[in-house]
Amino acid sequence: MDGAFASVDRGADRRDVSEAFLATLGFGGHQIGNAAAALAEEAGLVGVPVTRVENACASGGFALRSALAAVSAGASPLVLVTGVEKMTDVTNARRRYWLGVSGDTEWERSAGLTFAGVYGLVASRYFAEHGDASEALAEVASKNHENGALNPNAHFHRRVTRAEVLAAPRVARPLGLFDCCPVSDGAAALLLSPPELAHRFTDTPVYVDAAGAGTDFLAVQERPELTRFRASHRAAHEAFRSAGWNRSDVSFLEVHDCFTIAELLALEDLGFAAPGEAPRMTLSGATRRDGRLPVNPDGGLKAKGHPIGATGVSQVYEIFLQLRGQAGLRQVAGADHALAHNVGGAGATAAVSLFSVG
Amino acid sequence: MRRVVRVAAYVPAGASNWAAVAASDEDSFTLAATAVERVWSGRRAEPGPILVHALGDFPEVVEWGFAALLGRETVVTRSPGTASQLAKALEELEGGEGGPAIVVAVDLAETSASRTSSKSGIAGDAAVAFLLEPTESAAPLLFGKHAAGRSAVAATVRRARSEAAGGSRIMFVGDWDRGAGVGSAREAKPAGRDRSDNLGTVSEGAYIPRARYLENLPSRWRFLAEVCEACHRTTFPSRRVCRNCGRADSLTPVELPYNGGRVVAVTTVSAGGQPTEFDAQVAGSGPYDVALVELARGMRVTLQVTDIAPGTLAVGDHVDTLLRRLYPMEGEWRYGRKAVPVSTAGSRGPAKTPA
Repeated sequence: MDGAFASVDRGADRRDVSEAFLATLGFGGHQIGNAAAALAEEAGLVGVPVTRVENACASGGFALRSALAAVSAGASPLVLVTGVEKMTDVTNARRRYWLGVSGDTEWERSAGLTFAGVYGLVASRYFAEHGDASEALAEVASKNHENGALNPNAHFHRRVTRAEVLAAPRVARPLGLFDCCPVSDGAAALLLSPPELAHRFTDTPVYVDAAGAGTDFLAVQERPELTRFRASHRAAHEAFRSAGWNRSDVSFLEVHDCFTIAELLALEDLGFAAPGEAPRMTLSGATRRDGRLPVNPDGGLKAKGHPIGATGVSQVYEIFLQLRGQAGLRQVAGADHALAHNVGGAGATAAVSLFSVG
Repeated sequence: MRRVVRVAAYVPAGASNWAAVAASDEDSFTLAATAVERVWSGRRAEPGPILVHALGDFPEVVEWGFAALLGRETVVTRSPGTASQLAKALEELEGGEGGPAIVVAVDLAETSASRTSSKSGIAGDAAVAFLLEPTESAAPLLFGKHAAGRSAVAATVRRARSEAAGGSRIMFVGDWDRGAGVGSAREAKPAGRDRSDNLGTVSEGAYIPRARYLENLPSRWRFLAEVCEACHRTTFPSRRVCRNCGRADSLTPVELPYNGGRVVAVTTVSAGGQPTEFDAQVAGSGPYDVALVELARGMRVTLQVTDIAPGTLAVGDHVDTLLRRLYPMEGEWRYGRKAVPVSTAGSRGPAKTPA
């Protein structure tokens, strides 16, 4: 929070904040209900209306979307969007319990699945339809660890090779340990203002050009296909149509790689690869930091970590740095248009936002 | 008067070590349920209650479980699981008037070994179910062949045969297709497994309250779906509203066949990847497979896989489903269907009818 205020070039004051959105699952159960008031307390915003947004892992993306609507409705010089999750201070059993609460309880959980298992099913189906993509999954992990090593805020700074990824123990066949994002603590915050007021705060604002979103059936068993997340597709369609952009306008992507297979799906769902082509695109190096379409330059959920409510907001933080040329060693050259993709559960909710600078 | 018109047996697959391990998700109720649904298979008799007489030691679920399984009002009566009680029950029901009746016997106590397993709360070795329907023509029941290699069923048949007196019909009972020597699931069970009815493991929050569990049993146990007369799409699981057009006044219930599914996707959940409700299962028998299975009408269901070593099932394989224990919750076992490979679904095949 302090970091968000400190990052404002010409300074901003908490008293300018007229509304706030808090993205959090409430992992661990500490303050399940009315967490909005707890944010107001902690952030020195007592009195300011705060709305808590909970869409599992997509909470951040949806909070941004709500904040954008609040800004567009006027009357708010400054709207705060923050996401937070504290995940490491509970016992192992409770952690696994909380990791499972956002999947379909009635059928998937009672069959013995957590998200690793559901994404294992997704990967199984992807392999059945498009051939074994283990090598591409390993490349996703290796590439994102490579990026994370250059991100001081990343959970992991260690590089891993494809061979290490492939040799790791399996968690949910065909996914192994290094195909899964870690359990992390984290928080991120953004300040939004109407474009006409932005120059009061900075000469180089980052614009939110569109925020699309979508939903799908909670359980994958009710969807016609496993290898495509319709919520992501719908969210991207809405965002691109609203902004009037083409896919080729985008300099780099921040996508929701909670499991490596999810990054492959994202490339296809968002319209950057044809169905079944994401593995080839990934193995070609196109999604590396120096490729033609860098993906997850901050390390992604895979290496940066996935503090549930914070993730969607932290993607925008990375975009803010990148578009202003402040990403240091991991700077994507010439980045001026970016996309953030945030998924809740195994594709049950999704938010896609577009950003530009200058 | 009623006559036995059909008999079906269910003998758990005991052919491999792994099947025996996975059989820990069996209990006397799941055995009886499988035999009952086989003997009732395809029957859509006139409305009215079905009398179910259950012989053996059962958990409390037996009092209401058959109604949920058959989707019919049932009147459940019970007696101890002995062959003489079975013969008595059949005799009384055969002479009686009224609608259809099912007699199901599990874990008959004539064999000392199965008595032991019953006392320990472990699944018995076999279940046999008899369907009795009102008929004017059939002569009284006479038992014929017995099941090879399965002492429990064999004991039933031996006893019943000795008590039969020169009737005119021969009834074939049991698992004769599999032949002798398939081994005993009980003998193959490894030592040290957690087979206790440990019902203390209760999750919190993301659990299914008992009322909701009961409400959804038609979809979970009978694969109840709904066809919308307005848009012709099918909704499964049943949710009393069309998942396509949202209408609630145009739905016709339909039960999807519980056999003949096809694997769309499958994963192996390793230790640490399971929800906490499955901790005891993982500690006892290790990793398990979960499959997305396509049923009729393109409907899909997520099912745990049992009776086969994890990692064996593949996309495209055909599976049947059987009622099994899922996990303990709120002091009782929750039951639901699991997928089994077609080749190991116990004594399969159509229920035999008398010659």
